[in-house]
Amino acid sequence: MSRALHISGAWIGWAFFADLADALALTFGYMFSRSVTMQYPDKEKWLPYSRYRGHHFLKRDEEGEIKCVACELCARICPCDCIEVVPYEDEKGNRRPAKFEIDMARCLFCGLCEDACPADAIALGQQYEFSSFSSRDLVVGRDDLLGKPGKATTGGGVVAARLNTEQDVLVETSEPQGYNWWRNIRRT
Amino acid sequence: MELVFALGLIAFKVALLIAILLLLPLPLTWLERKIAGHMQQRMGPMRVGWHGLLQPVADGIKLLTKEDHIPAEADRFLFKLAPILALAPPFVVFVAIPFGESVSVLGTEITLYVSNMNVALLFVLAVIGIEVYGVIFGGWAANSKYAVLGSLRTCAQMISYEIPMGFAVIGVVMLAQSMSLLDIVRAQADVWNIVYQPVGFFVFFVAGLAEAQRIPFDLAEAEGDLGAGFHTEYSGIRFAFFMVSEYAVMLLVSVLSVILFFGGWNGVLIPLPPLLWFALKVAFFLYVFMWFRFTFPRYRYDQLMAIGWKVLLPLSLANIMITGVAFL
Repeated sequence: MSRALHISGAWIGWAFFADLADALALTFGYMFSRSVTMQYPDKEKWLPYSRYRGHHFLKRDEEGEIKCVACELCARICPCDCIEVVPYEDEKGNRRPAKFEIDMARCLFCGLCEDACPADAIALGQQYEFSSFSSRDLVVGRDDLLGKPGKATTGGGVVAARLNTEQDVLVETSEPQGYNWWRNIRRT
Repeated sequence: MELVFALGLIAFKVALLIAILLLLPLPLTWLERKIAGHMQQRMGPMRVGWHGLLQPVADGIKLLTKEDHIPAEADRFLFKLAPILALAPPFVVFVAIPFGESVSVLGTEITLYVSNMNVALLFVLAVIGIEVYGVIFGGWAANSKYAVLGSLRTCAQMISYEIPMGFAVIGVVMLAQSMSLLDIVRAQADVWNIVYQPVGFFVFFVAGLAEAQRIPFDLAEAEGDLGAGFHTEYSGIRFAFFMVSEYAVMLLVSVLSVILFFGGWNGVLIPLPPLLWFALKVAFFLYVFMWFRFTFPRYRYDQLMAIGWKVLLPLSLANIMITGVAFL
């Protein structure tokens, strides 16, 4: 009985386009759900997770001295050969880099330099906005690398931001932690 | 003096109609992109103006300033003729469409239609058939395989859909005992035709979707398999002509659905100005067009023909027969 009912119900549904009506109801429901668009760079910006591999940075130790010992292991392991290190001996007799250049145009952000570093001196940080009109500007030296932002402490959020094109193109934000982007994603 | 006034009034109405029809695609493209965006959980245009309201204007400027390219191997005369042939008929058709009874401005009664033909429905169906030539010529003249394929599909599609469409409206004509659109609307003052003619409306609307070449029947310009179909080789303002034509046909099918089946400017329950009722109903059908577009996939070529000949044509014939038996 119930099987016959089921079959006849399916036929009636087929004749009156129940499947098409289902589809229309679904799209209509979606139309009033919240959009998942991140309005970058005008209004919003994404904060990377701490595991994010962005622009490299060099660390300093407690005395404020550069941690790098210029062993050149990072340059050796780099698969695209984009790190160039020239060592020298400072006043205290420590081996330090005189020149530490990374060609960001060639880097593939694999993070092997970070793994290889014996002194925990180089790491890939949270900065991801460094596009440039000239590939020469993408070769970053030691002092610039020391000033780059480190790993993100919070992350994975979307924060309010503002596009500043007065001098350079910058996406400014002051919020430390925004909303979780995944909140509007439908999971069934 | 009388004659001059009458002629001036007709000229004014025609000019107003042309202006409205030329300008209406601007908000419609914006709406279509917004609806598409929100159905796909995007936002649609956001950058030009408040919530992208000026985006159609920017697009229009872009189309006007683009190079008007004609392929070297194209049939130049037909290539130039086709967009005009596609654009003109939807505009001509609106001469016969009534938008309401009449309003009195400064003591004089002004009718809300340009002409009240006694064969308006026939005129509409006949003239809108010419629009297909624009599409066919456009695809043929471009001398490109995608465009020709799009044109061939249009030919076959139109043959299978004009006939059910014509048959579907016969039931309405039988009920109103007139082919004048004004009389058809007046006949629906108490009960809308949709109550008596649900099958007729179904056939008419499906055929209208095919006529307007919208998804799920947009085989002539199927992006997925034909590049852009018949207008692959068109650019700039000629492309814009085809787009305006498409929106005008979409508007026409909406207006016809409202006039023939949904009581025109007759309202229900809520007393609103007749013109507003009419506009609301048309807006609903325009929304349904966009809603369908972003819900359904495209029918395959043979499926389209099968629906036209094996489902819609028998349905419309049966509809005529039942209407005849029941009302005559």
